[in-house]
Amino acid sequence: MGSVAAIVAPGIAMTPVEDTGMAEGTPDIKEARRMLGKGICIAGVGETEQGIISDRGSFELLTEVTRTTLDDAGLQLSDVDGIVTAFSFVESTLMHSTTLADYMGMKPGYFASVAVGGATAPLMAVQAAMAIDAGLAEVVLCVRGDNTRSGISSSGMIAMAREMSHGAYEAPFGLTTIGGYGLLAQRYMYEHDIPQEALAAVVATQSEHAALKWNAMLRDVVTVEDVMADRWIATPFHAMDCSLVSDGAAAFIVTTEARAKNMKKKPVYITGIGEGFSHQYISEAESVASVRDGLGRAGRRAMEVAGITPQDLDVAEIYDSFSFTPLIALEGFGVCGPGEAGAWVMEGNAKLGGTLPMNTHGGLIRQAHLGAMHHIVEAVLQLRGEADDSSKTEFNGGNHQVPDAKLAITNGSGGILAATSALVLSSEPPSAA
Amino acid sequence: MSEKPAYTKPLPDLRPEDAAFWEAMKEHRFILPCDDAGKPFWYPRKYAPGTLSATSWSDASGNGTVYTYSTHFIGPSKAYKGDPPHIVALVDLDEGPRMMTILVKDEDGYPSLDPEDVQIGMKVKVVFDDVTDEITLPKFTPAG
Repeated sequence: MGSVAAIVAPGIAMTPVEDTGMAEGTPDIKEARRMLGKGICIAGVGETEQGIISDRGSFELLTEVTRTTLDDAGLQLSDVDGIVTAFSFVESTLMHSTTLADYMGMKPGYFASVAVGGATAPLMAVQAAMAIDAGLAEVVLCVRGDNTRSGISSSGMIAMAREMSHGAYEAPFGLTTIGGYGLLAQRYMYEHDIPQEALAAVVATQSEHAALKWNAMLRDVVTVEDVMADRWIATPFHAMDCSLVSDGAAAFIVTTEARAKNMKKKPVYITGIGEGFSHQYISEAESVASVRDGLGRAGRRAMEVAGITPQDLDVAEIYDSFSFTPLIALEGFGVCGPGEAGAWVMEGNAKLGGTLPMNTHGGLIRQAHLGAMHHIVEAVLQLRGEADDSSKTEFNGGNHQVPDAKLAITNGSGGILAATSALVLSSEPPSAA
Repeated sequence: MSEKPAYTKPLPDLRPEDAAFWEAMKEHRFILPCDDAGKPFWYPRKYAPGTLSATSWSDASGNGTVYTYSTHFIGPSKAYKGDPPHIVALVDLDEGPRMMTILVKDEDGYPSLDPEDVQIGMKVKVVFDDVTDEITLPKFTPAG
């Protein structure tokens, strides 16, 4: 294979973006730029230990990470006037955000609970940005966490397993979430002649990154051969191709550049946002191409709003529910052409030191599963130049910093590649509103 | 009267709008929901997706082609423990819609097809597995 790095996928409808500055953009793109032009930024991040944390409950973990995140930004809880949370598999409440606000002793002026599966984390950032733009809040805590691994009941587990299946026309055939992804992955591999090694290369690559991340659950480096020899769960996935189930929490604070000036850390700007939807149930996915296009819209649109192309990116934190998941996203976003992401990863482009280092924290496959929360936290740390965990000697951390990283893309997908939300994050403010 | 062991695997959620389909299944008739232009769609709903016209039902051949499949080595619940792998597939029906099913041998009890006997693009036909007195599941087996 020749070099397939950074090719904009042919046949994907992308509004052309000029090399010199910002393209004009349609009214909706301009409106997104106007909003983000207020200097909407992430001013603090935090994450707890991840893994099996059986001595702490769901709200306890959320509060623990809120403390860490406020410290990171140099804020008090009283500085926060908005809260965006997600959901819990353990603490069932229809009012998650206000239940947590009450638990922590807050009286926020803005609150929302977001629940779109794996797309939730970037959507939380979008929700916070819109609340700030609308004057509903100025400093918004976005926090998600759960003791999913330790705290879930057996009925909760069954409900979670059935969650992504259609209750009448999929669940009775014994579909699992893993197998649902497997259906699309096997068709993708069939159409593009993708070898099993391409999936294993994603796992091997991310295992090298997780080995350096202080709180990654799996710290051992595995090879393509190790993954290929692992036990099958549902074809084409071995156990190591699947994401983890973990306890833990992560958070980020969204605010404006003006407010961030008085905070402790250098802000990281949200310069692009985008969403894309393809289908709800995997039976309804029209084709590999339609899924790629549907989820790809999120990333393509986020980059259009940011006025950048895939070639401009320094780091990519791409949702990786399974080893296959980032491959079709890389293609949908235009980092690689259709069917080319497997070879691209096998050539080493996704590694630290490669063309576009991907999932520099290990991702859902090696670090922990908290939707896309850690992807956002890691992207922020990268753009601040704080992704070197070498000083965390008690956790045997290492350096996973991408040198001089300025631009990152990150995304999350809910369901079986059903609904996707993406962000472009930048160390620099948007150039024009 | 044959005494069946209790069926412990997942059963379909039943909604009023699905009654016609499960009734037909019970009678071993394969039918598809259609929109007001007579175009079949899947999955069944009271109103056709996109047009929101009232759904009508038409007889279908029960023939199709495997679009993709995933061999499941672990099932979604404890009821699958000890079973050989089962093969969940998406089948493109000759009438157009794509549906999920499980691939089986056309034998008593409809045991799972062997994984080595499955490939994308193979022709399959429906069989009716009466898993309980009330529920018959449309499973698919190699055609011809």
